[in-house]
Amino acid sequence: MSLPPHRVDYNPIIERPPIKWPNGERVALWIAPNVEHYEYMPIQYGPRNPWPRTPYPDVQQYSYRDYGNRVGFWRMLEVLDQYKIRSCVSLNLAVLEHFPEIRKAMIDRDWDYMTHGIYNTRYLYAYTEPEEREFYRDNIETVKKYTGKKLNGMLGPAISGTIRTPDLMAEAGLTYHTDWMHDDQPVPINVASDNKLISVPYSIELNDSPLFRVNYEAEYFADICKRQFDQLYKEGADSGRVMCIALHPFLIGQPHRIKYLDDILSHITSHSDVWMTTADDITEYYLANYYDQAVEDSKKYKV
Amino acid sequence: MPGERREGTDHPHHEWSPITTRGKLSWPNGAKVALCVIITLEHTEWEIPEDAYSADQAGGLGMRPFPDYPRFSHREYGHRVGIFRVLDALDRLGIKSTVAMDTQTAEAYPYLVKHCQDRGCEIIAHGVSGTQMISSLMSEESESIFIRSSIEAMTKATGKTPRGWFGTDYGESNRTPDLLRRAGVDYVCDWVNDEQPYPMRDGLTALPTMLEMDDLFTMSTRRVTVERYTQSIVEGFDVMYQDGAQNGRLMTINLHPWLTGQPFRIGFLEDALGHIMGHDAVWTATGSEIVDWFNNNPPT
Repeated sequence: MSLPPHRVDYNPIIERPPIKWPNGERVALWIAPNVEHYEYMPIQYGPRNPWPRTPYPDVQQYSYRDYGNRVGFWRMLEVLDQYKIRSCVSLNLAVLEHFPEIRKAMIDRDWDYMTHGIYNTRYLYAYTEPEEREFYRDNIETVKKYTGKKLNGMLGPAISGTIRTPDLMAEAGLTYHTDWMHDDQPVPINVASDNKLISVPYSIELNDSPLFRVNYEAEYFADICKRQFDQLYKEGADSGRVMCIALHPFLIGQPHRIKYLDDILSHITSHSDVWMTTADDITEYYLANYYDQAVEDSKKYKV
Repeated sequence: MPGERREGTDHPHHEWSPITTRGKLSWPNGAKVALCVIITLEHTEWEIPEDAYSADQAGGLGMRPFPDYPRFSHREYGHRVGIFRVLDALDRLGIKSTVAMDTQTAEAYPYLVKHCQDRGCEIIAHGVSGTQMISSLMSEESESIFIRSSIEAMTKATGKTPRGWFGTDYGESNRTPDLLRRAGVDYVCDWVNDEQPYPMRDGLTALPTMLEMDDLFTMSTRRVTVERYTQSIVEGFDVMYQDGAQNGRLMTINLHPWLTGQPFRIGFLEDALGHIMGHDAVWTATGSEIVDWFNNNPPT
């Protein structure tokens, strides 16, 4: 059965019907640069203080992150381009409005857009139901307006949410939510409407932000990304796996770290049978081929 | 109670006993080290009950405001994916395991109970969830009910009375060992103060765990890399193997599948445990087997 909040039915990975990716690839791999903007003078709304270190502004932390947009993004882009990576950007949508050169760079490369909220200093925790509904309307409209694309997925702003988030996302027509760290494959998320919502594996392990905020460094990041890939590649021979590498330009785009991104991508792209893809494409494929089967299969484990 | 300035322990649960003054503990077949791998399968609750005490939880990004989707789901990874990687690695090496399972996991996921039993794991009690620990804030009555109801629920879910107890987050009040014994528990894993089993009061046995061999404590709380953590397992084992020639040692390794069962960590663990199993004089056993041997073959 499921445990509260009853969003996810139990289903052990070793018992599931196998997943075959479009061309029999072992691993569906997506790169998620978090292109973010943090407000200089935010207004705290809800329980989390965006800049807890000092009274606002916190120039050190603000500009540390802004470095990502001024410098780090462009250095990261050079490496992603070298490997012809079409990213699925986890995007604070206000970046589309503030920084046209970044917008153009993403559009030129046909990236997919996963919303990461409007600003990374505006969390969802305290949103009322009407506020959250308006939030999705705004998100969908903003992505359409600036990129021409339909918005399909969300990583909550700074991975925040409310208990209603999956319901309201699905109601607004979004199809994937990446705040769930519970699996190596997509998983159906139960919602109130008949619309379909899934989780697509994102990572807070293979993620430069939690690592480099403390005492880990880029060599370790490269090592664990390669190890993760090797393990999933092995397992993916039987049933397809998903791997995501989460990047933040202000961190991975630092001059002392960039060669390690190259190292990771060089390792991964030296393998055949890897589907270099986006969360949008994984979602589309999973919904068309495996969603119904997964829902049915999970019924075996209801208590 | 504050310590009284006299010889011996400052609590009543067990005697003072430096390892250098003990008789020789001999494991079966002349083993120098008994290896006890504990797998903690615990459920992180979506909403923690208001009256529950929960120690600061380490790992990932730290506590976020409610609802904390990433923390909640990150830990659920262990139940859906990680546990199988850990058990596969242990099976390949022929290592027996002891699973400390909470009642919410056992009741909601009978598949996992059966799976662990089918693979020969011993299942021991682990309270209600990974987010409710025993502490002195509980009344004696509520603590007693907490322990007894956990054991009853595990008896029902597994078909047998659990013999061991491993508290969530090593949580105890100063009454816990006595209450465990009264509830019929044979051994407890909360005390991390030894390299051999030892007697507690009234027939309760301590199966000491090693805090620094706990993946969560070392990799999440202390933020040691997986490479260094598993190197410590190897280096620690080498010293214990040497020491175990004079007097048998117990190496207990506590693993959390949501953490060590991640794809990039599992290979490191398998390599380290492979190093241990490459030695002849190692006895891999469940908690009950170790405690029974210890009680039936007292040090001489």
